[in-house]
Amino acid sequence: MKTLKLEFYKIKRRKVWLTMFAMLLVQLLWGLWAFNNPKEWELESGWLSLLYSLSMLDGIMVPTMMSVLASRLADIEHKGNTYKQLETLRSAGSLYHAKAVCGCIIIAAMFAVQFAFFITLGYHLGYAGNPDVKYYLLSYVLKIASNISLFLLQLALSMLFANQMVPLVAGLGGSMAALLLMFVTNYSFLPWGGNLSAALVMSDWDETTRISTYYYRTFTSAETAAVIAIFIWITAFYVGGRIIFTHREA
Amino acid sequence: MNLSLLKTIKSERIKLKRSPVWLAFFVLPIISAFFGTFNYVANQGVLKKEWYSLWTQHSLFLCYLFMPALIGTYCSYLWRLEHMRNNWNSFLTAPVSRFSLYCGKLSQAVVMVLIGNAWIFLLYCLCGKITGLPGLPPKESISWFACGILGGIVICCVQLAISMVIRSFAIPIGIGLAGGIGGLVMTNKGWGLYYPYSLYCMGMRANNPNLALDTKVFVISSIIYIVTFSVVSVIGLRKHETAF
Repeated sequence: MKTLKLEFYKIKRRKVWLTMFAMLLVQLLWGLWAFNNPKEWELESGWLSLLYSLSMLDGIMVPTMMSVLASRLADIEHKGNTYKQLETLRSAGSLYHAKAVCGCIIIAAMFAVQFAFFITLGYHLGYAGNPDVKYYLLSYVLKIASNISLFLLQLALSMLFANQMVPLVAGLGGSMAALLLMFVTNYSFLPWGGNLSAALVMSDWDETTRISTYYYRTFTSAETAAVIAIFIWITAFYVGGRIIFTHREA
Repeated sequence: MNLSLLKTIKSERIKLKRSPVWLAFFVLPIISAFFGTFNYVANQGVLKKEWYSLWTQHSLFLCYLFMPALIGTYCSYLWRLEHMRNNWNSFLTAPVSRFSLYCGKLSQAVVMVLIGNAWIFLLYCLCGKITGLPGLPPKESISWFACGILGGIVICCVQLAISMVIRSFAIPIGIGLAGGIGGLVMTNKGWGLYYPYSLYCMGMRANNPNLALDTKVFVISSIIYIVTFSVVSVIGLRKHETAF
Protein backbone atom coordinates (compact mmCIF):
# COMPACT_ATOMS: atom_id res chain seq x y z
CA MET A 1 0.00 0.00 0.00
CA LYS A 2 2.84 2.33 0.90
CA THR A 3 4.56 1.56 -2.42
CA LEU A 4 1.33 2.26 -4.27
CA LYS A 5 0.91 5.58 -2.45
CA LEU A 6 4.47 6.45 -3.44
CA GLU A 7 3.67 5.73 -7.08
CA PHE A 8 0.87 8.29 -6.97
CA TYR A 9 3.22 10.66 -5.18
CA LYS A 10 5.79 10.23 -7.96
CA ILE A 11 3.33 11.17 -10.68
CA LYS A 12 2.14 14.24 -8.79
CA ARG A 13 2.52 17.28 -11.08
CA ARG A 14 3.74 15.02 -13.93
CA LYS A 15 0.44 15.73 -15.67
CA VAL A 16 -0.30 12.03 -16.23
CA TRP A 17 -3.97 12.59 -15.41
CA LEU A 18 -4.03 15.65 -17.62
CA THR A 19 -2.64 13.65 -20.56
CA MET A 20 -5.29 10.97 -20.18
CA PHE A 21 -8.09 13.51 -19.86
CA ALA A 22 -6.74 15.39 -22.87
CA MET A 23 -7.33 12.19 -24.84
CA LEU A 24 -10.87 12.02 -23.48
CA LEU A 25 -11.38 15.63 -24.49
CA VAL A 26 -10.32 14.80 -28.05
CA GLN A 27 -12.82 11.92 -28.03
CA LEU A 28 -15.56 14.16 -26.69
CA LEU A 29 -14.86 16.80 -29.34
CA TRP A 30 -14.96 14.07 -31.95
CA GLY A 31 -18.27 12.86 -30.45
CA LEU A 32 -19.73 16.36 -30.57
CA TRP A 33 -18.75 16.59 -34.23
CA ALA A 34 -19.71 13.07 -35.31
CA PHE A 35 -23.04 12.80 -33.47
CA ASN A 36 -24.16 16.35 -34.15
CA ASN A 37 -27.71 16.82 -35.59
CA PRO A 38 -28.81 13.17 -35.42
CA LYS A 39 -31.57 11.97 -37.75
CA GLU A 40 -34.70 10.22 -36.48
CA TRP A 41 -33.30 6.71 -37.02
CA GLU A 42 -30.07 7.74 -35.34
CA LEU A 43 -31.95 8.86 -32.23
CA GLU A 44 -33.76 5.52 -32.11
CA SER A 45 -30.54 3.47 -32.10
CA GLY A 46 -28.46 6.16 -30.39
CA TRP A 47 -27.37 4.20 -27.31
CA LEU A 48 -26.33 1.24 -29.43
CA SER A 49 -24.40 3.36 -31.91
CA LEU A 50 -22.64 5.09 -29.00
CA LEU A 51 -21.27 1.78 -27.72
CA TYR A 52 -20.24 0.82 -31.25
CA SER A 53 -18.48 4.12 -31.93
CA LEU A 54 -16.67 4.06 -28.59
CA SER A 55 -15.23 0.61 -29.37
CA MET A 56 -13.95 1.81 -32.75
CA LEU A 57 -12.57 5.06 -31.38
CA ASP A 58 -10.83 3.31 -28.47
CA GLY A 59 -9.44 0.69 -30.81
CA ILE A 60 -7.65 3.46 -32.71
CA MET A 61 -6.59 5.82 -29.93
CA VAL A 62 -6.20 3.87 -26.72
CA PRO A 63 -3.29 1.52 -27.58
CA THR A 64 -1.05 4.56 -28.15
CA MET A 65 -2.39 6.22 -24.99
CA MET A 66 -1.63 3.07 -22.99
CA SER A 67 1.95 3.23 -24.22
CA VAL A 68 2.10 6.91 -23.21
CA LEU A 69 0.72 6.09 -19.74
CA ALA A 70 3.12 3.18 -19.20
CA SER A 71 6.02 5.28 -20.43
CA ARG A 72 5.15 8.14 -18.04
CA LEU A 73 5.01 5.73 -15.08
CA ALA A 74 8.29 4.04 -15.96
CA ASP A 75 10.50 6.81 -17.31
CA ILE A 76 10.81 8.57 -13.95
CA GLU A 77 12.89 5.60 -12.74
CA HIS A 78 15.00 5.55 -15.89
CA LYS A 79 15.65 9.29 -15.69
CA GLY A 80 16.62 9.18 -12.04
CA ASN A 81 18.40 5.83 -12.39
CA THR A 82 16.59 4.85 -9.21
CA TYR A 83 16.07 1.12 -9.67
CA LYS A 84 19.09 0.02 -7.67
CA GLN A 85 18.29 2.31 -4.78
CA LEU A 86 14.59 1.40 -4.78
CA GLU A 87 15.35 -2.29 -4.73
CA THR A 88 17.37 -1.87 -1.53
CA LEU A 89 14.20 -0.57 0.14
CA ARG A 90 11.59 -2.97 -1.29
CA SER A 91 11.48 -5.95 -3.59
CA ALA A 92 11.55 -5.42 -7.35
CA GLY A 93 8.30 -7.40 -7.56
CA SER A 94 6.42 -5.03 -5.25
CA LEU A 95 7.69 -2.02 -7.22
CA TYR A 96 6.41 -3.60 -10.44
CA HIS A 97 3.12 -4.51 -8.77
CA ALA A 98 2.65 -0.96 -7.47
CA LYS A 99 3.21 0.53 -10.93
CA ALA A 100 0.77 -1.96 -12.47
CA VAL A 101 -1.94 -1.22 -9.88
CA CYS A 102 -1.37 2.54 -10.21
CA GLY A 103 -1.87 2.30 -13.98
CA CYS A 104 -4.97 0.10 -13.57
CA ILE A 105 -6.57 2.65 -11.23
CA ILE A 106 -5.89 5.43 -13.73
CA ILE A 107 -7.39 3.33 -16.55
CA ALA A 108 -10.52 2.50 -14.52
CA ALA A 109 -11.00 6.18 -13.66
CA MET A 110 -10.34 7.27 -17.23
CA PHE A 111 -12.98 4.99 -18.73
CA ALA A 112 -15.48 5.87 -15.99
CA VAL A 113 -15.12 9.50 -17.02
CA GLN A 114 -15.35 8.51 -20.70
CA PHE A 115 -18.63 6.67 -20.14
CA ALA A 116 -19.99 9.55 -18.05
CA PHE A 117 -19.01 11.98 -20.84
CA PHE A 118 -20.71 10.03 -23.59
CA ILE A 119 -23.83 9.07 -21.62
CA THR A 120 -24.32 12.76 -20.83
CA LEU A 121 -23.83 13.50 -24.54
CA GLY A 122 -26.44 10.86 -25.41
CA TYR A 123 -29.01 12.45 -23.11
CA HIS A 124 -28.10 15.89 -24.41
CA LEU A 125 -28.72 14.75 -28.01
CA GLY A 126 -32.05 13.22 -27.00
CA TYR A 127 -31.43 9.53 -27.69
CA ALA A 128 -34.58 7.43 -27.28
CA GLY A 129 -34.94 5.65 -23.94
CA ASN A 130 -32.07 4.96 -21.58
CA PRO A 131 -28.76 3.14 -21.99
CA ASP A 132 -29.00 -0.58 -21.30
CA VAL A 133 -27.29 -0.76 -17.88
CA LYS A 134 -26.29 -4.42 -18.24
CA TYR A 135 -24.54 -3.92 -21.60
CA TYR A 136 -22.97 -0.62 -20.63
CA LEU A 137 -21.55 -2.13 -17.43
CA LEU A 138 -20.28 -5.20 -19.27
CA SER A 139 -18.78 -3.00 -21.95
CA TYR A 140 -17.03 -0.91 -19.27
CA VAL A 141 -15.56 -4.01 -17.60
CA LEU A 142 -14.37 -5.51 -20.90
CA LYS A 143 -12.94 -2.19 -22.02
CA ILE A 144 -10.94 -1.89 -18.80
CA ALA A 145 -9.76 -5.49 -19.17
CA SER A 146 -8.65 -5.16 -22.79
CA ASN A 147 -6.80 -1.94 -22.10
CA ILE A 148 -5.20 -3.24 -18.91
CA SER A 149 -3.75 -6.08 -20.98
CA LEU A 150 -2.25 -3.52 -23.35
CA PHE A 151 -1.04 -1.35 -20.50
CA LEU A 152 0.72 -4.31 -18.84
CA LEU A 153 2.45 -5.18 -22.11
CA GLN A 154 3.57 -1.57 -22.52
CA LEU A 155 4.61 -1.33 -18.86
CA ALA A 156 6.84 -4.37 -19.24
CA LEU A 157 8.46 -2.84 -22.33
CA SER A 158 8.79 0.61 -20.73
CA MET A 159 10.38 -0.82 -17.58
CA LEU A 160 12.82 -2.94 -19.59
CA PHE A 161 13.93 -0.35 -22.16
CA ALA A 162 15.47 2.89 -20.95
CA ASN A 163 14.95 4.28 -24.45
CA GLN A 164 11.20 4.94 -24.46
CA MET A 165 11.10 5.02 -28.23
CA VAL A 166 10.94 1.23 -28.36
CA PRO A 167 7.72 0.77 -26.32
CA LEU A 168 6.08 3.79 -27.94
CA VAL A 169 6.75 2.54 -31.44
CA ALA A 170 5.43 -0.87 -30.38
CA GLY A 171 2.27 0.91 -29.17
CA LEU A 172 1.92 2.79 -32.47
CA GLY A 173 2.45 -0.38 -34.50
CA GLY A 174 -0.14 -2.17 -32.34
CA SER A 175 -2.63 0.67 -32.80
CA MET A 176 -2.22 0.44 -36.52
CA ALA A 177 -2.59 -3.34 -36.58
CA ALA A 178 -5.75 -3.03 -34.43
CA LEU A 179 -7.25 -0.43 -36.75
CA LEU A 180 -6.54 -2.37 -39.91
CA LEU A 181 -7.81 -5.59 -38.34
CA MET A 182 -11.22 -3.93 -38.01
CA PHE A 183 -11.58 -4.10 -41.79
CA VAL A 184 -10.74 -7.76 -41.96
CA THR A 185 -12.36 -9.39 -38.94
CA ASN A 186 -14.62 -8.83 -35.91
CA TYR A 187 -12.23 -10.29 -33.39
CA SER A 188 -8.55 -10.89 -32.87
CA PHE A 189 -6.39 -12.89 -30.55
CA LEU A 190 -3.69 -10.19 -30.69
CA PRO A 191 -3.46 -8.06 -27.54
CA TRP A 192 -4.13 -4.91 -29.61
CA GLY A 193 -7.34 -6.43 -30.94
CA GLY A 194 -8.91 -6.54 -27.45
CA ASN A 195 -11.08 -3.46 -28.01
CA LEU A 196 -12.39 -5.05 -31.20
CA SER A 197 -13.02 -8.48 -29.68
CA ALA A 198 -14.76 -6.96 -26.66
CA ALA A 199 -17.12 -4.76 -28.70
CA LEU A 200 -20.68 -5.68 -27.71
CA VAL A 201 -22.38 -3.88 -30.59
CA MET A 202 -21.92 -4.48 -34.31
CA SER A 203 -23.36 -2.65 -37.28
CA ASP A 204 -24.63 -3.40 -40.78
CA TRP A 205 -24.41 -0.66 -43.38
CA ASP A 206 -27.15 -0.63 -46.02
CA GLU A 207 -25.73 1.00 -49.14
CA THR A 208 -29.12 1.69 -50.74
CA THR A 209 -30.84 3.33 -47.74
CA ARG A 210 -27.52 4.64 -46.34
CA ILE A 211 -28.67 3.59 -42.89
CA SER A 212 -26.61 1.64 -40.34
CA THR A 213 -28.37 -1.00 -38.30
CA TYR A 214 -26.86 -1.59 -34.89
CA TYR A 215 -27.40 -4.78 -32.93
CA TYR A 216 -26.05 -6.56 -29.87
CA ARG A 217 -23.45 -9.06 -30.90
CA THR A 218 -24.01 -12.79 -30.51
CA PHE A 219 -20.60 -14.19 -29.70
CA THR A 220 -19.53 -17.27 -31.66
CA SER A 221 -17.22 -19.73 -29.91
CA ALA A 222 -14.16 -18.20 -31.65
CA GLU A 223 -15.23 -14.69 -30.59
CA THR A 224 -15.77 -15.87 -27.00
CA ALA A 225 -12.30 -17.40 -27.08
CA ALA A 226 -10.93 -14.01 -28.25
CA VAL A 227 -12.57 -12.35 -25.22
CA ILE A 228 -11.12 -15.00 -22.90
CA ALA A 229 -7.74 -14.37 -24.55
CA ILE A 230 -7.84 -10.81 -23.15
CA PHE A 231 -7.74 -12.22 -19.61
CA ILE A 232 -5.01 -14.70 -20.58
CA TRP A 233 -2.96 -11.78 -21.93
CA ILE A 234 -3.46 -9.88 -18.66
CA THR A 235 -2.09 -12.81 -16.67
CA ALA A 236 0.72 -13.50 -19.13
CA PHE A 237 1.89 -9.88 -19.36
CA TYR A 238 1.70 -9.31 -15.62
CA VAL A 239 3.48 -12.54 -14.65
CA GLY A 240 5.95 -12.38 -17.54
CA GLY A 241 6.73 -8.70 -17.00
CA ARG A 242 7.19 -9.17 -13.27
CA ILE A 243 9.50 -12.18 -13.69
CA ILE A 244 11.64 -10.43 -16.32
CA PHE A 245 11.77 -7.23 -14.26
CA THR A 246 12.73 -8.96 -11.00
CA HIS A 247 15.47 -10.99 -12.69
CA ARG A 248 17.16 -8.15 -14.54
CA GLU A 249 20.08 -6.26 -13.12
CA ALA A 250 18.83 -3.01 -11.61
CA MET B 1 26.02 26.81 -47.31
CA ASN B 2 26.71 28.32 -43.91
CA LEU B 3 29.58 26.41 -42.23
CA SER B 4 27.96 26.36 -38.78
CA LEU B 5 24.81 24.91 -40.31
CA LEU B 6 26.84 22.10 -41.88
CA LYS B 7 28.44 21.47 -38.50
CA THR B 8 25.10 21.19 -36.72
CA ILE B 9 23.74 18.84 -39.38
CA LYS B 10 26.84 16.69 -38.97
CA SER B 11 26.58 16.70 -35.18
CA GLU B 12 22.89 15.72 -35.34
CA ARG B 13 23.81 12.85 -37.61
CA ILE B 14 26.40 11.71 -35.08
CA LYS B 15 23.80 11.84 -32.29
CA LEU B 16 21.54 9.53 -34.32
CA LYS B 17 24.32 7.13 -35.31
CA ARG B 18 23.36 3.48 -34.73
CA SER B 19 20.05 4.53 -33.23
CA PRO B 20 17.22 2.20 -34.28
CA VAL B 21 14.79 5.11 -34.70
CA TRP B 22 14.52 4.60 -38.49
CA LEU B 23 13.10 1.14 -37.83
CA ALA B 24 9.68 2.58 -36.99
CA PHE B 25 9.50 4.33 -40.39
CA PHE B 26 10.37 1.01 -41.96
CA VAL B 27 7.93 -1.24 -40.06
CA LEU B 28 4.73 0.84 -39.86
CA PRO B 29 4.35 1.35 -43.64
CA ILE B 30 4.84 -2.41 -44.06
CA ILE B 31 1.92 -3.11 -41.69
CA SER B 32 -0.20 -0.59 -43.59
CA ALA B 33 0.83 -1.99 -47.00
CA PHE B 34 0.15 -5.57 -45.90
CA PHE B 35 -3.35 -4.93 -44.57
CA GLY B 36 -4.12 -2.40 -47.33
CA THR B 37 -3.23 -4.84 -50.07
CA PHE B 38 -5.14 -7.64 -48.32
CA ASN B 39 -8.21 -5.42 -48.08
CA TYR B 40 -7.86 -4.36 -51.73
CA VAL B 41 -7.62 -7.95 -52.97
CA ALA B 42 -10.57 -9.02 -50.79
CA ASN B 43 -12.82 -6.17 -52.01
CA GLN B 44 -11.93 -5.89 -55.69
CA GLY B 45 -15.65 -6.00 -56.50
CA VAL B 46 -16.08 -2.60 -54.85
CA LEU B 47 -12.57 -1.17 -55.30
CA LYS B 48 -12.46 -0.98 -59.08
CA LYS B 49 -10.06 1.89 -59.72
CA GLU B 50 -6.94 -0.29 -59.72
CA TRP B 51 -3.85 1.79 -58.74
CA TYR B 52 -6.05 4.56 -57.28
CA SER B 53 -8.03 2.14 -55.10
CA LEU B 54 -4.87 0.44 -53.92
CA TRP B 55 -3.45 3.83 -52.95
CA THR B 56 -6.43 4.68 -50.72
CA GLN B 57 -6.08 1.32 -48.98
CA HIS B 58 -2.36 1.83 -48.42
CA SER B 59 -2.35 5.41 -47.34
CA LEU B 60 -5.62 6.34 -45.63
CA PHE B 61 -4.94 5.42 -42.01
CA LEU B 62 -1.18 5.63 -42.25
CA CYS B 63 -1.34 9.25 -43.37
CA TYR B 64 -4.20 10.44 -41.16
CA LEU B 65 -3.41 8.73 -37.89
CA PHE B 66 0.02 7.20 -37.75
CA MET B 67 2.43 9.40 -39.69
CA PRO B 68 1.78 12.44 -37.45
CA ALA B 69 2.45 10.28 -34.38
CA LEU B 70 5.44 8.65 -36.05
CA ILE B 71 6.95 12.00 -37.02
CA GLY B 72 6.18 13.05 -33.43
CA THR B 73 8.19 10.05 -32.18
CA TYR B 74 11.14 11.02 -34.35
CA CYS B 75 11.03 14.67 -33.25
CA SER B 76 10.80 13.62 -29.59
CA TYR B 77 13.80 11.42 -30.17
CA LEU B 78 15.74 14.33 -31.71
CA TRP B 79 15.19 16.45 -28.57
CA ARG B 80 15.50 13.53 -26.14
CA LEU B 81 19.26 13.86 -25.75
CA GLU B 82 19.05 17.60 -25.04
CA HIS B 83 16.41 17.03 -22.34
CA MET B 84 18.67 14.58 -20.51
CA ARG B 85 20.75 15.79 -17.56
CA ASN B 86 22.53 19.09 -18.35
CA ASN B 87 22.76 18.64 -22.08
CA TRP B 88 20.75 21.80 -22.76
CA ASN B 89 23.69 23.80 -21.44
CA SER B 90 26.22 22.19 -23.75
CA PHE B 91 23.75 22.33 -26.66
CA LEU B 92 23.10 26.05 -26.22
CA THR B 93 26.74 26.95 -25.63
CA ALA B 94 27.88 25.40 -28.92
CA PRO B 95 29.65 28.07 -31.02
CA VAL B 96 26.92 28.19 -33.64
CA SER B 97 23.77 30.26 -34.02
CA ARG B 98 20.45 29.13 -32.53
CA PHE B 99 19.02 29.10 -36.02
CA SER B 100 21.68 26.62 -37.12
CA LEU B 101 21.00 24.47 -34.05
CA TYR B 102 17.34 24.34 -35.01
CA CYS B 103 18.07 23.68 -38.67
CA GLY B 104 20.30 20.76 -37.66
CA LYS B 105 17.34 19.12 -35.94
CA LEU B 106 14.90 19.98 -38.71
CA SER B 107 17.21 18.60 -41.39
CA GLN B 108 17.21 15.15 -39.76
CA ALA B 109 13.43 15.11 -39.45
CA VAL B 110 13.05 16.18 -43.09
CA VAL B 111 15.44 13.46 -44.28
CA MET B 112 13.40 10.87 -42.37
CA VAL B 113 10.13 12.15 -43.91
CA LEU B 114 11.76 11.88 -47.35
CA ILE B 115 12.95 8.33 -46.75
CA GLY B 116 9.64 7.37 -45.11
CA ASN B 117 7.63 8.67 -48.08
CA ALA B 118 9.94 7.00 -50.58
CA TRP B 119 9.44 3.71 -48.71
CA ILE B 120 5.64 4.14 -48.72
CA PHE B 121 5.71 4.67 -52.50
CA LEU B 122 8.08 1.78 -53.09
CA LEU B 123 5.76 -0.53 -51.13
CA TYR B 124 2.81 0.81 -53.12
CA CYS B 125 4.53 -0.01 -56.44
CA LEU B 126 5.64 -3.44 -55.23
CA CYS B 127 2.20 -4.40 -53.87
CA GLY B 128 0.55 -3.12 -57.06
CA LYS B 129 2.72 -5.36 -59.18
CA ILE B 130 2.28 -8.33 -56.81
CA THR B 131 -1.51 -8.02 -57.03
CA GLY B 132 -1.19 -7.94 -60.82
CA LEU B 133 -2.13 -4.33 -61.57
CA PRO B 134 -1.31 -3.33 -65.16
CA GLY B 135 1.34 -0.78 -66.07
CA LEU B 136 2.87 1.68 -63.64
CA PRO B 137 1.35 3.85 -60.90
CA PRO B 138 -0.43 6.95 -62.28
CA LYS B 139 1.75 9.95 -63.05
CA GLU B 140 -0.18 11.99 -60.47
CA SER B 141 1.60 9.94 -57.83
CA ILE B 142 4.64 12.21 -58.34
CA SER B 143 2.50 15.10 -57.13
CA TRP B 144 1.23 12.99 -54.17
CA PHE B 145 4.82 12.28 -53.24
CA ALA B 146 6.03 15.90 -53.50
CA CYS B 147 3.01 17.40 -51.71
CA GLY B 148 3.23 14.67 -49.06
CA ILE B 149 6.80 15.66 -48.29
CA LEU B 150 5.84 19.32 -47.95
CA GLY B 151 2.95 18.40 -45.63
CA GLY B 152 5.30 16.12 -43.68
CA ILE B 153 7.75 19.00 -43.16
CA VAL B 154 4.90 21.04 -41.66
CA ILE B 155 4.27 18.30 -39.08
CA CYS B 156 8.04 18.12 -38.41
CA CYS B 157 8.09 21.83 -37.58
CA VAL B 158 5.03 21.61 -35.31
CA GLN B 159 6.27 18.52 -33.50
CA LEU B 160 9.81 19.88 -33.13
CA ALA B 161 8.41 22.97 -31.41
CA ILE B 162 6.25 20.83 -29.11
CA SER B 163 9.02 18.36 -28.26
CA MET B 164 11.44 21.20 -27.58
CA VAL B 165 9.15 22.62 -24.90
CA ILE B 166 7.77 19.39 -23.40
CA ARG B 167 10.47 17.34 -21.69
CA SER B 168 8.47 14.12 -21.75
CA PHE B 169 9.20 11.75 -24.62
CA ALA B 170 5.69 10.32 -24.71
CA ILE B 171 3.35 13.32 -24.48
CA PRO B 172 4.26 14.89 -27.87
CA ILE B 173 3.49 11.53 -29.49
CA GLY B 174 0.02 11.59 -27.93
CA ILE B 175 -0.37 15.15 -29.21
CA GLY B 176 0.66 13.95 -32.68
CA LEU B 177 -1.98 11.22 -32.61
CA ALA B 178 -4.65 13.64 -31.38
CA GLY B 179 -3.54 16.11 -34.08
CA GLY B 180 -3.95 13.42 -36.73
CA ILE B 181 -7.48 12.60 -35.54
CA GLY B 182 -8.25 16.33 -35.48
CA GLY B 183 -6.96 16.41 -39.07
CA LEU B 184 -9.57 13.85 -40.05
CA VAL B 185 -12.31 16.09 -38.68
CA MET B 186 -10.89 19.27 -40.22
CA THR B 187 -10.52 17.67 -43.65
CA ASN B 188 -14.09 16.43 -43.44
CA LYS B 189 -15.26 19.95 -42.58
CA GLY B 190 -13.37 21.30 -45.61
CA TRP B 191 -10.80 23.17 -43.50
CA GLY B 192 -7.96 20.74 -44.15
CA LEU B 193 -5.78 23.26 -45.96
CA TYR B 194 -5.69 25.48 -42.88
CA TYR B 195 -4.83 22.87 -40.27
CA PRO B 196 -1.18 21.70 -40.01
CA TYR B 197 -1.89 18.03 -39.33
CA SER B 198 -4.23 17.74 -42.34
CA LEU B 199 -1.71 19.03 -44.85
CA TYR B 200 0.24 15.78 -45.00
CA CYS B 201 -2.76 13.57 -45.81
CA MET B 202 -4.22 16.15 -48.18
CA GLY B 203 -0.90 16.35 -49.99
CA MET B 204 -0.78 12.58 -50.21
CA ARG B 205 -4.47 12.55 -51.38
CA ALA B 206 -4.87 9.80 -48.79
CA ASN B 207 -8.66 9.62 -48.81
CA ASN B 208 -9.24 10.66 -52.40
CA PRO B 209 -6.59 10.24 -55.11
CA ASN B 210 -8.76 12.26 -57.52
CA LEU B 211 -8.96 15.24 -55.17
CA ALA B 212 -8.42 18.47 -57.07
CA LEU B 213 -6.01 20.01 -54.60
CA ASP B 214 -5.60 23.77 -54.75
CA THR B 215 -1.81 23.52 -54.99
CA LYS B 216 -1.25 27.26 -54.59
CA VAL B 217 -3.18 27.45 -51.32
CA PHE B 218 -1.60 24.19 -50.17
CA VAL B 219 1.95 25.46 -50.75
CA ILE B 220 1.26 28.88 -49.19
CA SER B 221 -0.42 27.30 -46.16
CA SER B 222 2.48 24.86 -45.72
CA ILE B 223 5.09 27.61 -45.99
CA ILE B 224 3.23 29.76 -43.46
CA TYR B 225 3.16 26.90 -40.95
CA ILE B 226 6.80 25.96 -41.59
CA VAL B 227 7.99 29.56 -41.11
CA THR B 228 5.72 30.22 -38.09
CA PHE B 229 6.71 27.12 -36.13
CA SER B 230 10.38 27.47 -37.08
CA VAL B 231 10.37 31.06 -35.84
CA VAL B 232 8.63 29.96 -32.62
CA SER B 233 11.27 27.26 -32.08
CA VAL B 234 14.22 29.56 -32.78
CA ILE B 235 12.77 32.23 -30.46
CA GLY B 236 12.28 29.50 -27.87
CA LEU B 237 15.94 28.57 -28.20
CA ARG B 238 17.03 32.20 -27.97
CA LYS B 239 14.92 32.96 -24.90
CA HIS B 240 16.27 30.04 -22.92
CA GLU B 241 19.86 30.66 -22.13
CA THR B 242 20.16 27.55 -20.02
CA ALA B 243 18.17 24.42 -19.29
CA PHE B 244 14.39 24.37 -19.71
